[in-house]
Amino acid sequence: MPGDPARQGIRDPRLTKETIEAIRVRFGLDKPVFNCIDSLNPVRIGSCTVNPLDTQFFIYVKNLFKGDLGVSYYYNRPVSDVLGERLWNTILLIGVGQILAIVIGVILGVLAAWKARSAIDYGALLTSLLAWSLPVFWLGIILVFWGSNHGFPIGGKATPGISSYPFFTQVGDLVWHLLLPTFTYTVIFMGEYTLLMRSSLLDVLAEDYILTAKAKGLSTFQILKDHALKNGMLPIVTLIAINLGYTVAGVIQIESVFSWPGLGGALFEAVSRRDFPILQGGFLLIAVSVIIANFIADLTYSYLDPRVQTE
Amino acid sequence: MGPQTAELKVSVASTSPFSDFWQTFSRNRMAVAGLVMLATIITLAVFASVLAPYDPKSSVGITSSDIYNPPSSAHWLGTDDAGRDILSSFLFGARVSLIVGFFAAFISVIIGGTIGVVAGFYGGRTENLLMRFTDLMLVIPDLPLIVVIVALTKPSLINIIIIIGVFGWTTTARIVRSQTLAVKSRKFVLRARAIGAGNVHIIMKHILPLVMPLLVVNAILVISLAILNESTLSFLGLGDPTATSWGQMLNFAFVRGAMSAGAWWALVMPGVGIAWVVFGLTLFGQGLEQVLNPRLESHHLSPGRPSVQSDAVVESATVKKKSKKRKDAPLLLDVRNLSVNYISHDNVVAKAVHNVSLQLHEGELVGLVGESGCGKTTLMLALMRLLPATGQIANGHINFRGKDITTLNEDELQKLRWSGISIIFQGAMNALNPVRTVGDQIKEAIIRHMPAYAPGILEDRVIELLDLVGISKDYKDQYPHQYSGGMRQRAMIAMALSCDPDVIIADEPTTALDVMIQAQILELLDDLRKKLGLAIIFVTHDLGVVAEMCDSVLVMYGGVTAEYADVDTIYNAARHPYTQELLKSFPDLSQPEKRLISIPGYPPKLDELPEGCRFAPRCPLAFERCTKEMPILHELEDGYHIASCHLVEGG
Amino acid sequence: MSNEFILEVKNLKKYFQVGRQGWFSHTETIVHAVDDVDLTLKPGEVIALVGESGCGKSTLSLTLMGLEEATEGYIFFNGVDITHATNEERKAFRQKIQMIFQDPYESLNPTQTIEEIVTEPLVVHGLARDPHERKDRVRRALEDSGLKPAESYLHRFPHQLSGGQRQRVVIAGALVLEPQLLLADEPVSMLDVSIRAEIINLLADLRRTRGISVIFITHDLGTVGYFADRIAVMYLGRIVETGSMREVLKNPRHPYTQALLSVIPVPNPRMRKKRIILQGETPNPINIPSGCRFHPRCPVALDVCKHSDPPLIKVSLTQEAACLLVVK
Repeated sequence: MPGDPARQGIRDPRLTKETIEAIRVRFGLDKPVFNCIDSLNPVRIGSCTVNPLDTQFFIYVKNLFKGDLGVSYYYNRPVSDVLGERLWNTILLIGVGQILAIVIGVILGVLAAWKARSAIDYGALLTSLLAWSLPVFWLGIILVFWGSNHGFPIGGKATPGISSYPFFTQVGDLVWHLLLPTFTYTVIFMGEYTLLMRSSLLDVLAEDYILTAKAKGLSTFQILKDHALKNGMLPIVTLIAINLGYTVAGVIQIESVFSWPGLGGALFEAVSRRDFPILQGGFLLIAVSVIIANFIADLTYSYLDPRVQTE
Repeated sequence: MGPQTAELKVSVASTSPFSDFWQTFSRNRMAVAGLVMLATIITLAVFASVLAPYDPKSSVGITSSDIYNPPSSAHWLGTDDAGRDILSSFLFGARVSLIVGFFAAFISVIIGGTIGVVAGFYGGRTENLLMRFTDLMLVIPDLPLIVVIVALTKPSLINIIIIIGVFGWTTTARIVRSQTLAVKSRKFVLRARAIGAGNVHIIMKHILPLVMPLLVVNAILVISLAILNESTLSFLGLGDPTATSWGQMLNFAFVRGAMSAGAWWALVMPGVGIAWVVFGLTLFGQGLEQVLNPRLESHHLSPGRPSVQSDAVVESATVKKKSKKRKDAPLLLDVRNLSVNYISHDNVVAKAVHNVSLQLHEGELVGLVGESGCGKTTLMLALMRLLPATGQIANGHINFRGKDITTLNEDELQKLRWSGISIIFQGAMNALNPVRTVGDQIKEAIIRHMPAYAPGILEDRVIELLDLVGISKDYKDQYPHQYSGGMRQRAMIAMALSCDPDVIIADEPTTALDVMIQAQILELLDDLRKKLGLAIIFVTHDLGVVAEMCDSVLVMYGGVTAEYADVDTIYNAARHPYTQELLKSFPDLSQPEKRLISIPGYPPKLDELPEGCRFAPRCPLAFERCTKEMPILHELEDGYHIASCHLVEGG
Repeated sequence: MSNEFILEVKNLKKYFQVGRQGWFSHTETIVHAVDDVDLTLKPGEVIALVGESGCGKSTLSLTLMGLEEATEGYIFFNGVDITHATNEERKAFRQKIQMIFQDPYESLNPTQTIEEIVTEPLVVHGLARDPHERKDRVRRALEDSGLKPAESYLHRFPHQLSGGQRQRVVIAGALVLEPQLLLADEPVSMLDVSIRAEIINLLADLRRTRGISVIFITHDLGTVGYFADRIAVMYLGRIVETGSMREVLKNPRHPYTQALLSVIPVPNPRMRKKRIILQGETPNPINIPSGCRFHPRCPVALDVCKHSDPPLIKVSLTQEAACLLVVK
């Protein structure tokens, strides 16, 4: 395999040939990846004498079902351990950021659509377009730079030695570290939600049933609340699911810039270290989360839109 | 066609869709701003070798003291980690970022566009397969995959362009597919097939020209995403180190201690470049989309305009009721000299309704007859002050329950609406909110105006109303899409009755329905009228329905009253040429052999109204005076009959 | 298959399969859009095809045009069986059968000029390759459709024309191929009342001058009272009554026709007639009632009507009705 970790001599130049061979056996790298694709001699078609079950791929899948994601080359610890702690850090970051982005985005979007063509509308529109246009990592860099001159930490999740302090101090320290990364995340994503909510609501507010609601003598606020919002939210639900792809991209960048110990950062480091178990495990985690998120989005959508339910 | 299409569409002298496009485009500030931003940066990139003060690749004359120097007269943007001029690197870097962005996007758009058109047009299994694949790719996070692939391959510029391109086609495919589907189902495609055109011809001549605008807008989005992707990859150290893009500059700065050196200039400028280009593209794209896919200027919750009284006092005309029944019934609604204008955003005024008067007594059914553009829908919306944001009552009074509706403020109007006057709209498909149950929507009206109802009694009342219109109570908690067309109209009627209004306006309630369902609804309305003593204004173009149902008739043309009398007079003794011609053009099953005539020409455009009588251009009896002087409303038969025609002068 | 008729339809059926693909089940329902239809048309004859929504009249016209494939039955055009024609054969007879659609605002491609629109049929069929001849034919077609002078219309776009003018362009596009049969699917229902007669009179003139046969599909009988020779009334995919226009209007024999005629409003307040208003709605063509398909709504249905599906029964020289009650 290109980038064979054993060949990369995993960081320690003092490894002897024997040790290298032992590592290969330990990690199963002496077995072919799939059928007939030998690590050392790729693609030897026509002379397959290998037992298909004795390949790297199948061993991996077999272990998966046991909950064993393999062992990281770099850390020499189980992948599930390494990724496990990182996963929660990422979820913390995304969770807070996403919720803030949705809330702000929806509110701004509704305001903009309601007061269409007014200063509020143009202001919200331009702000969200600008926010969307910023490169995530660049916003991060600027904030880190500014933050380091204004008392914010340069990176990481916790100040070294914080664990010896009382619980609330630790929480405060966490928040202090979380502030800028979350702010970055929120700014970038709220732009998209604002834009979508605005255009969705503009369409909804031009529909006939809004005129009917007005003719019934309902107040503007009531119409927005009881008629427009539910219909307008539908595309947002779909967007949240699709956004997961962009979320991962954003997370990788933010975690790199802020040295936040999360999944994205782990993935990125694993690439340069050719730490395949981490990569595979990371991908798997991402894939599973994306599938689950989409499933939830579908369910939510059909709950909100009765036309889908009763087909 | 809902009431909101009563909004003015100003006609602009045009020669082709393309000059139309350019006119609208140049008026769109976002699009122009974006274009200017792009033009600036592209010019800078193109002329980089001329404009750059230094050669960013050479290290001639650079010493270690040049590292991370702040902006100065020698280096406008300061120097970087190797002492090189940032401004020069910035200008040349523009080239790299723009080239990668553009070419990668090109690949994405070609792939996505082809997949989208093929999937959308051919459908079936092909579409299924392609779309499942696209959805999968859309949902899979690209960046990790791209990161891995780039890490495993050689990071050359070409590779990066190809990889970004190959991962960026999913949004294009989805958008192109849905647009292709939409266009494919349009009637002119069916017509092309009926002519005998083959698939290729249809795709080239009919599908592509209509998909293109959206594709262009999407392409702009893809370009901006590609540029962002490239800068991200470069920043993460996966870019081509020999081609210094803006992202690469940031990578060097970040990794080589710009922050600890306090060299903010090395961190800010390249990012500004990226943001400038992407923001410019986004503005341009957003503006372009507004031009290509324009929304109406306002929506139903946009603030309306206050009424004014502008015309000099015009004599009003009232019609005395012929039948004794109506003569003694109390007058419920008294509309006098109502005029309504539409004012476009560039202040062109269209006189949609001019000096119309109408009286409605208890139990009376007035028919409001006219063809497209005659102003009948505008008139109805004005009565309830539901005009769109561009509409304005320019003159007149609407007297109802002792108040003048034209002077009421929004709060008072909200109280009056539905409980005093309610309305049934035309296409009930969208007149009811599709995500709420019908019962709920009826309840809402009752709660609003009669809050004293206890919840239990509320449910009963809703069931009672539905029963009144012939809908079984099992349907109370169903959604509008589960109702048939006829049932939805009945539900609208039930809802309109829910707050015991004095007047109901029915705006073409049966136009979209089959003739048998129409008969059912008309019978229902008639029964309800008799049972509940309602007064109804029935808006329609169907002279047969008017003859069947109405007590009196107001014929409108070009925004004015053409004729107003009781139904028998209109049909048997009409004096206005328009009424006469209209009757002659309307089919009569009792005389099937009668050859129908048509009125030549078409209704006037409301912003280009002729001087004089609005019907004169099409009137078979028009003479000199008609084209110069607008006729006043003449009273005939002691006021039982009104017609606005010079020929009627003197009775 | 006699040559007396330009169009002959026998036992035509068009069913649609609407399947529901669940994860674990696959139910299929069949929509009987056109359910055994017979029709004949002589050259130069005009027949009005009347019915409400869901009766199958549009599907019938699409099937006749070959835009939908017949499920069963036969269509003969000028004696030739075109029911399951190949693509080339279809293209050939599409020169002779043309369609006019309901929506003048949607039938024309907004990015094409009038000239391009009317020339397109010639391009598709490779006719009149000489550009002058082509332009001539286009001009003539436009003028025959009442758009004079043709020159002033050629470079304009659809959105610059009124509804009536657009419909004329559609007709011109049909005429340019010199067809023998026109299928007009509700060609005037979306036009203003006062200009409908324009289009109908145009079609009447074309019939007179060019001998074109017309199948005029409509839900509004009144518009074709004087123009159509014959009428066929459709209900739930079947023709339930047919005959000469005069006879059927004067003396409808099928209860559905009788009801339909009675509820069509007449513009005469002194003639408020007795209306036979049917209850309920037209049933879904997925579940066709047993026996006579009209029996659930029929005001004069007998017990036997639940079990017996009557064919079209002759009641006079030209009139037929699919009702057991006419046999008396």
